[in-house]
Amino acid sequence: MKQTLRNPAVYALFIIPTLALYCLFFIYPMITSSYYAFTDWNGLDNYKFIGLKNFADVFSDPDFRSAIVNNIIFILFAVFVQVPLIIIMAILIGSVKRLQGFYKTTVFIPSILSTAVIGILWGFIYHPEIGPLNTFLRLFGIENIYWLADEKWAMPAVLFVNAWQWMGFYIVIVLASILALPKELNEAAAIDGATGFQRAIYITVPLIKPIISVIMMLSIAGAMRVVDIVLVMTKGGPVGATEVMASYLVKEAMGVNPNYGLGTAISLIIFAFALILTALYQMSFGRSEKGDVS
Amino acid sequence: MKKVLTLVLMLVVAASTVLAACGSDNKGNNGNATNQPGNTDAPATTAPTAEPEKVEPFSVSLRHIQIGESTKFRKAILDDVVKKTEDEIPGLTFELDGLEDQVNRFTKLPAEMAAGRPPIVFDLFGGAGDALKYAAAGRLLDLTPILEELGLSDRFLNLGQFTLDGKVYGLPIGGNTEGFYYNEVLFEKYGLKEPTTWEELELAAETLKSNGITPFAMGSKGAWVPLMLVNTLIGRYAGPEAIDGFPAGTQAWNAPEVVNALTKYEEWIKKGYFTKGELGYEYADMLNDFVSGKAGMMFDGSWRSSVFKDQEQAGELTGKVGFFAMPAVPGGKGDQTFVNGNYSNGYGFSAKANENELKAIKAFIKNLYNDEMQLRGLLEDGVLPSIKLSDEAIAKVDDRISTKVMNILGASGGAFSHYDSTVPSEVYSESESQIHKLIAGKATSQEVADALQKVQETANSRPAE
Repeated sequence: MKQTLRNPAVYALFIIPTLALYCLFFIYPMITSSYYAFTDWNGLDNYKFIGLKNFADVFSDPDFRSAIVNNIIFILFAVFVQVPLIIIMAILIGSVKRLQGFYKTTVFIPSILSTAVIGILWGFIYHPEIGPLNTFLRLFGIENIYWLADEKWAMPAVLFVNAWQWMGFYIVIVLASILALPKELNEAAAIDGATGFQRAIYITVPLIKPIISVIMMLSIAGAMRVVDIVLVMTKGGPVGATEVMASYLVKEAMGVNPNYGLGTAISLIIFAFALILTALYQMSFGRSEKGDVS
Repeated sequence: MKKVLTLVLMLVVAASTVLAACGSDNKGNNGNATNQPGNTDAPATTAPTAEPEKVEPFSVSLRHIQIGESTKFRKAILDDVVKKTEDEIPGLTFELDGLEDQVNRFTKLPAEMAAGRPPIVFDLFGGAGDALKYAAAGRLLDLTPILEELGLSDRFLNLGQFTLDGKVYGLPIGGNTEGFYYNEVLFEKYGLKEPTTWEELELAAETLKSNGITPFAMGSKGAWVPLMLVNTLIGRYAGPEAIDGFPAGTQAWNAPEVVNALTKYEEWIKKGYFTKGELGYEYADMLNDFVSGKAGMMFDGSWRSSVFKDQEQAGELTGKVGFFAMPAVPGGKGDQTFVNGNYSNGYGFSAKANENELKAIKAFIKNLYNDEMQLRGLLEDGVLPSIKLSDEAIAKVDDRISTKVMNILGASGGAFSHYDSTVPSEVYSESESQIHKLIAGKATSQEVADALQKVQETANSRPAE
């Protein structure tokens, strides 16, 4: 038996069924559908091969270029605002003695709500006339802000709701890793006279770096394919102010003028972007942080 | 040697596992097909015809867009038609599937059409971007023989948007025109009368504006809402022929007369005549804006008229709303007495309907498209009939807006349709994003016109398929 397991062919035998299923349900559909990216298929009429025209069309459309910029804003917001806030919140919740379960549940609730519910909920909160937010701001004499209808405000409004929806989920993950840290380290530092802030910066954060690296990557990947919250809140509007690549895809592929060929091309572009970004991240920050810990 | 033997054994085991899985699959298929192995489709289609006497219960999917309060009258008519049809055809049950209009028209139905599996009966719009496109792709049932059998062939007022190569592929439920609704209470308060000329209309708007009332309620999150007004402005400034002229190549979008229409719209935007923050409001919000008295006028279709005789929806405004067509514009081209008129929304049927479903379709058409239901639609819902009604039937109409709408149509020189039914989808799609840019001040009327002309030219230069 030992002899058998040394034979690479045996290993191949074990993985072939899995590989076959993987190819059948993932690789094969992906390759066959990729073909449509090079056609003008609209779902109804006969289609023909048009080469790279779809890709050229997409990149020459200023609306798509602004969608890419919006995706980048989503990523930057996730990395530089969301992730630090997640860590701060997790450390704060990790250090409270009483009602920790209550805080944990409270921050987690938004991520179990369906995005459609969140869209309606925040649509009401942001309502210019009757929404609680503007009602509150009016107390200070601030004029009605058209949160979702004003190009200036729509993007921040959607970013905030997206963060509100997902931060709790990540906070719970980070919190779990904080609570799993050996208590002795923090206690020893406290005895040495380190303040809570110093302990957080010099002990907790370095120790949870691997998990931070993971949530960082998940946030980037999530920001690349964000679409549901945009569709339920603004449908990419006003005038493309909140349009992201995926919502542009939905509009082009399944909108007023369905063009599945173009849609497939856009999805390939999103896939390529996500692949490149996560690879870049892994090669730079992801690796060095893992190295630190080991 | 032993190694090879083990390897072979493992291969056999693995292969037999895989094959066993396939084998049980085949067995399953054979079990279903009994005498026709390998052809699972055949029994499904032959089974019902084999024993026609026995009543087999069957269901027919029906997609409608009558959801929500403002379409409740229309829904009641549909429910009665469904019930009557179910009573007539033994074994039939309709599976009603209510969906929001835009979701059905622009998302779900196109996807179903692409997959070749639309519902058997479904809400359908006429014109180049909808019915005619699906008909050309062979997705829609040819209704010509059914209409002949039911004696309905010559009764429809206008089947133009559903007719391809002389065959009818859909039936409009009614007709409509788009015009201005106005709040009579507010008009009286500010000493305004129903505008009959362009100057009076703009004076009314200016007066309302200066009194802190929004002149025109607008919810332009869905671009089709502002485009209704744009379309009628084009019909006025560029003439009724312009709408058909775009796809024919005889009318350029960036010709001065069309740009004039867009410029007028732009001017109204700049003057703040529309609801503030309109880009964030839906079609339904526009009605709220108008009913609550925040806005004095609203450009909408005659299909909305039933709201204003329903206390529950219109509240204090019940019966205090007037309707007028867009007045002639100074310097407008063509016949200024034409009105916007559409026979575009109705029902289509799947080309894949089987024998039973065809029976259901026939009965559904018979029960929905008849004098009684058409008159009911007119009286209860304010929807103009799509089939010719007798004078005495028409005389029963007592609703003010419906009467006014019929008078407007009667006095008009003719009707022009909405360009969304004449131009290719990509042009309409472009007009949706361009109108948002115009509203947000990110494009001028000239830029909008140039962009549309560019897409139209590309579409017109494409060889017909």
